[in-house]
Amino acid sequence: MLTDARRLGVLVALGGGVLLLLWYLAPWAVPHRLFGGEGVLLNPFGHHLPQGTLPPGYRDGWLLWTFYPSLAWLALTLVLAWTPKPARKLYLMGAFGLGLFLLTLLLFQASVAQVNAGAERPLLRRYSLGLGSYATLAFSLYLLLLARLFSPGGLAFLVRRRGVVVPLFSLLLASLLGGVIVAVMKRAPGEAQGLREALMLKLDLITYTYQLLYSPLVNPSGFLQSLLLATPLIFTGLAVALGFRGGLFNIGAPGQLILGAIAAMLVGVYLPGPRWLVLPLAILAAALAGGLWGALPGWLKARFGAHEVINTIMLNYIAASLFLFLISSNEYKFFGRTLYLPFKYPGYEARSHEIRPEARIPHWTELVAPGGELSFALPLALLLGLLGYLLLRKSLGHRVLMGLVAGGVGYVVGGLLPGPEVSFGPDLTSVRLNGAFLLALMALLFFHFYVFRTVGGYELRAMGLAPKAAEYGGVASGRKMVLIMFLAGALAGLAATHYVLGGGIDEYRLKQALPYSVGFDGIAVALMGQNTPVGVGLAAWLFGILLTGGLQVNLQLGISRELVAVLQALIVLFIAAGGFLPRYFTDPLRAAEVELREERERKGR
Amino acid sequence: MNLDAAFWIALFFSTLRQTTPLLLTALGGMFSERSGVVNIALEGIILFGALTAAVVVERGEHLLGPGPHPWLPWVGVLGAMAVGGLVAWVHAVVSIKYRADQIISATAINLLALGAPSLVLAYFYGNATNSKEVANRLPLWGPEGFALSPLVYLAFLLVPLSWWVLFKTPFGLRLRAVGEHPEAADTLGVDVYRMRYIGVVLSGILAGLAGAYLAIGFLNQFVRGMSAGMGFISLAAMIFGKWHPLGILFSTLLFGFASALAIQLQGTEILPAVLVQAFPYLVTVLVLAGFMGKSRPPAAVGRPYEK
Repeated sequence: MLTDARRLGVLVALGGGVLLLLWYLAPWAVPHRLFGGEGVLLNPFGHHLPQGTLPPGYRDGWLLWTFYPSLAWLALTLVLAWTPKPARKLYLMGAFGLGLFLLTLLLFQASVAQVNAGAERPLLRRYSLGLGSYATLAFSLYLLLLARLFSPGGLAFLVRRRGVVVPLFSLLLASLLGGVIVAVMKRAPGEAQGLREALMLKLDLITYTYQLLYSPLVNPSGFLQSLLLATPLIFTGLAVALGFRGGLFNIGAPGQLILGAIAAMLVGVYLPGPRWLVLPLAILAAALAGGLWGALPGWLKARFGAHEVINTIMLNYIAASLFLFLISSNEYKFFGRTLYLPFKYPGYEARSHEIRPEARIPHWTELVAPGGELSFALPLALLLGLLGYLLLRKSLGHRVLMGLVAGGVGYVVGGLLPGPEVSFGPDLTSVRLNGAFLLALMALLFFHFYVFRTVGGYELRAMGLAPKAAEYGGVASGRKMVLIMFLAGALAGLAATHYVLGGGIDEYRLKQALPYSVGFDGIAVALMGQNTPVGVGLAAWLFGILLTGGLQVNLQLGISRELVAVLQALIVLFIAAGGFLPRYFTDPLRAAEVELREERERKGR
Repeated sequence: MNLDAAFWIALFFSTLRQTTPLLLTALGGMFSERSGVVNIALEGIILFGALTAAVVVERGEHLLGPGPHPWLPWVGVLGAMAVGGLVAWVHAVVSIKYRADQIISATAINLLALGAPSLVLAYFYGNATNSKEVANRLPLWGPEGFALSPLVYLAFLLVPLSWWVLFKTPFGLRLRAVGEHPEAADTLGVDVYRMRYIGVVLSGILAGLAGAYLAIGFLNQFVRGMSAGMGFISLAAMIFGKWHPLGILFSTLLFGFASALAIQLQGTEILPAVLVQAFPYLVTVLVLAGFMGKSRPPAAVGRPYEK
């Protein structure tokens, strides 16, 4: 068995070996790319793969200026790792590596800017660093992680943060496997001469795929689009997470979403009245219908002991049938008699009538800048509401009430304040982000308050952790089960408001294209977010980014969007397996053992 | 509304055909749950099996050229069984070795089965929804007009066979012991983990077989989502059949009849097709709600075992 310090040395050496290999094999920067992913690959070993051409005047000498210092840095790191007390030195080297990466980035950007500055139109448009440079970044982070891990209390530090470590590690593993899938499924563009170039092309293909997947982070319309796609995922993620918290597995979010959509459509199309009445009623109807559809398996479990997993799945299929029944035809035959339904819009396509304008949730431009002027209503309401909640030191009820009142005042005052004129480009206004996103944020707040700040939420969590003990402690578990599933279903039903009332699928109506399978994606969101509101919000956003980026991957590389679905499934699988990390990352008892042991060691020293 | 003899004969054979994949999968689920592991991944495994069978046979035809190759479908069947077993093995590793929540692990595999086939189809055929049609389907055995796929015969033959294995062999005794009381079985020297691995992989092989039946016995191509909840219905049938081969035979026949009725009623003016399609799912809900008397699952089912 290796001693601790030696193990650290071996781990650093292994990582360093991988880094060196990647530096040799992978491109460091890609100044120019064509549409299909073909590009000019730069590598410090004098290798330019001539796929496409660089404009005259591009200088790649900077590459050597960053490469040799990096090499020296790696050598020094490898030596320092074997000296006594290496952890602190590795912190320094890690920080130094981050600096080196930043330097590489700056020099590269400067060289691109130099070419583009002289031209009328930017000559280099699709440019980015390559895997070689990113490997430097990754190795620096790895060094920082190792340094923390091998300094006193390091393991306990990581184990305490297992709610973040396990999902992130699973994401990393899934990404690695996803990279292998891409490499197998897709031929790299360009002609390779020899094994090394072939490898370089493959590595570049994988890097480019992930760059595209995460591209919504750096482009404004992609960013809005990622929020749009995150909106329903927040709802369904919460719907699954609420079930998990209460010890129930809700796979019924797709069905609950469908029922919510049907109810929202019925109110939105057929209820006349002013906006202030119809819109809230339509939203409530969606929540209620989804909730009742969710409560059904809850009741079946409480009353008959029927397992909720299979029942919710069956209800998904039944809901899908009901959905088709309503919108696919106006005329059905029952035992020879004909039944006429008013729901389907005339024409070939299966869809409902359009939602009346009064029942539509406003588009984001109407919320941010109604009438072309930037409005302060929402930000002020948010700010004052938060202040009202935080400043009052009384019971929870008082604080929430105060927050709501202050928020309302902020909304009115902000609405009256005049704002500067703004206009958005067509690429931004075409993104159909709508007010349902705010509803989703409110749902996150509701989840937090209900689950972590009320007696009902305490009972719910008690039931999830130890059902028998909870029942002994006075929780009416049957009734509670129905309530949990009702609330979960209501959350999933609200996801439908985004699609039907908010026009999230291009039209304000029920369509066959309603993507109710986002209900399943909610499982991945809940697991990735570890059933906490902040986690669910971030996980939903991550998947929103990946789904948006998936479209780019499909568009530019011709790789099926389902790659994202596969990544999601792998993440769920790996999180279920605890990221294949040691047991103390998944088992709270063993985690406590680790902490105790480290504390004892610290005292013993 | 006149239903003649032809309707009832068609309904009978349709029932047999609809029952076959359910029966195969439910028997598999029985082996898995008897060993103490819930396998909700059967739904996804059916899809993986179907995909494998269709792709293997189609690629085989692509390589060998057209023309009848009577042995080719059987290669597809073997491939489906192998892939089914492999996918189930993943579920086994995650839920037995890494003690994951068995339902979450299986759900991950089901999610994978929603996305992964599209990647494979895009790779081979350039579209994301279905494979090319195969020329070499599984043969039909039996007299003219009443011929059935060999897998139909096999499924019904497996009922007495699995009864014998489960209740009359030492292997069956150990499998049941591991699912009822793993600690006791362990004390007696039974390798709990090994028995559970065998149970889960066996369920995967059978579900893969069901998938092969769907893809190259029932149809002649893979279509996205073609399992349509059969894996889940099989699990309900298994519960309804009280984890016993004979019970499972009758319960899957009930579900098969429900599906067959739904199919035979389509195009008639009795009930609208979109509603009739929900029939088997409705039956599942009703059955699970206990219109069946109480049934007791293996005592250790769903619990990871720790030495």
